[in-house]
Amino acid sequence: MKLSKKVVLLGHFGVGKTSLFRRFIDDAFSEDYKVTLGVQIKKKVIQLPSGIELSMVIWDTEGHQEIENTRKSYLLGSHAFIYVFDLTRKDTYINLNADIAYLKQHHPKVHIRIIGNKLDKVSEREIKKELKQESIPFDCLTSAKTNKNVSTFFNELAEELTK
Amino acid sequence: MTGLEGKLHFNQKIQFITLSFDGVIIDTDNNLFSWPKNTSIYDAHPFFEIIKGFLENDAITQNEYSFPCIHIEEDNLERICDVSIKIDLKEIVVLLFDYTQKYNELNQIAQQKNESILKSRELQLKNEYLLEKENFKNNFIANINHEIRTPLTGIIGFTEVLEKTKLSFEQEELVRIIKRESNHLGSLIEDMVDISKIEAGQLNIINERFLFLDIVKGFKETYNRIAEEKGIDFEIIVDPNIQEYIIGDKTRVHQILNNVLNNAFKFTDEGKITFSITKNYQRTNKVSINFKITDTGIGILNKDLDEIFKRFTRVEHAKNRPGTGLGLAIVKNLVDTLHGEIKLISEPDKGSTFSINLPFQFDILKTSIPKIKKKKKYKLPSTKKKFKILLVDDEEVNQYLVMKILINHGSFYVDVAISGEQAINYIEKRFYDLVLMDLKLGVMDGYKATHIIRNHYGDKQIADVPIIGFTAKATEIEREKCLKSGMDDFISKPFEQEDLLQKIAKNIQKKTTV
Repeated sequence: MKLSKKVVLLGHFGVGKTSLFRRFIDDAFSEDYKVTLGVQIKKKVIQLPSGIELSMVIWDTEGHQEIENTRKSYLLGSHAFIYVFDLTRKDTYINLNADIAYLKQHHPKVHIRIIGNKLDKVSEREIKKELKQESIPFDCLTSAKTNKNVSTFFNELAEELTK
Repeated sequence: MTGLEGKLHFNQKIQFITLSFDGVIIDTDNNLFSWPKNTSIYDAHPFFEIIKGFLENDAITQNEYSFPCIHIEEDNLERICDVSIKIDLKEIVVLLFDYTQKYNELNQIAQQKNESILKSRELQLKNEYLLEKENFKNNFIANINHEIRTPLTGIIGFTEVLEKTKLSFEQEELVRIIKRESNHLGSLIEDMVDISKIEAGQLNIINERFLFLDIVKGFKETYNRIAEEKGIDFEIIVDPNIQEYIIGDKTRVHQILNNVLNNAFKFTDEGKITFSITKNYQRTNKVSINFKITDTGIGILNKDLDEIFKRFTRVEHAKNRPGTGLGLAIVKNLVDTLHGEIKLISEPDKGSTFSINLPFQFDILKTSIPKIKKKKKYKLPSTKKKFKILLVDDEEVNQYLVMKILINHGSFYVDVAISGEQAINYIEKRFYDLVLMDLKLGVMDGYKATHIIRNHYGDKQIADVPIIGFTAKATEIEREKCLKSGMDDFISKPFEQEDLLQKIAKNIQKKTTV
């Protein structure tokens, strides 16, 4: 069986959405920061153990400090949102709970996953402690640079989207 | 150019596509992308799968959709387009507007803006890291100070003991050098602790009312002697309009002026040093006083004027003179902490002038002059031949040193306990005239032992025994902690023999008179 699912990457600018996108799609990484204007879209076909062939169409959107500023049309027809924040920049996750509440309110049927990126730059133990203290929820901590947890995360998401 | 040509040129930036409901391209002008007719739009670019979504589920709430700024690639060519999708009963119409140039220009602006925000955040993080490092260093210095003081107490103390024995002329000279160098080491530690405290914001300013001329008097005595030794002139000029009593942190003011005077004397080999004190202005109960120290020393090069207030900075032509480069850094930090200002004018080979303005307060209404407290000399009561002292200290060197001082004095018997528990044990069994209590002990520290002595015994001879806290931590907090725990007094290491004996005499005398 073949399925196609739209997944949108959201979050502040410079948190590593494009790096995660490139790491997952092309298995590539660059230290250079290049701003994303609008949206880049790429597709990756994932063969799941269940026999399902999933086309994950990923929309890598431009970053915004306010989730409300994300262009509404980009979110249309989405199956999942991946909210990415930068583990080294508190300002990228300080309003996370409010942003997630906003997404849930306006897109109640869409799966929401939260990623803390740039794990290579922080101590995992320390940051987990800090996120717990600040009551910041997350599904996965990744490093697009070192490829830590990136493919695992997307594969698990793919499984979930086909359930 | 005709209007039609302009329109044609504009039209080249738009592509028109008609689709069937299964996504097959029915018609297109291929102005931007070469997507063949009768092929699926879904194979052209993944963006168009959005249409599949609109048709498959109930997401259609409108029939026209706009998607700005979509990156669409074909082979190696990328265009950034605004896309309009119109769905009606017969067909789907897609319009692609190529705004690559416009978006690329915007992209540059956004890139600069975001980069500058990220850069400033990076700098902020770096600053936070440096601050953390600085705090760690300051705490480290404060702690290491404790560790250095303990052996230094031994060195200074035993040197004093040695000084009082029968020595040859050469030995006397050697002891004098050991004492001088140990005292120098002691002052260096004080300087380091001061600077780390100031930088960590832990320096307590203690304002008190004091006789202004007291400060000057001390300098007159010390520096007249040095001036005489160096063969230079030293003059102090004091403005008679300055209030007799002023309120300020006497210790820190003394430290500032002493460091600057010391600096002037260090770098002046001939000529004169003038120390003048004048009142700048006074408003209500506030007075600003200027302290000016002018020397005819080696002077400072213009390029080094800002450098000399930085810690551990020693300008090139001053490197053959003794010093660590901390003195003036402390001065600058202390002046800032006291909300004053310091200026330096200097010319190489002619001399320097340090001008310091410091704010003070004074009592407008208080006219009566309090009695000047002279440093009282305490004597042991003559009621007994010998006094029993309990020394509680786990450091062998300290035990030996204190015992040596007290036994040599001839008026004391000394018992030594090496822990708080042992001290309690001794106190229960014997009567003591005074306890010298180290604070940092094993399981039961000096505070806890004092608390037990003061609160657990009905026998007044035990509960009221004078206790002197005896520690290497020379801080105000430590002093307060000692007094709060029930101790009568406090002495910090390293100490002078005379100070220790005076503290003991004072507290035994106090107890006897009570």
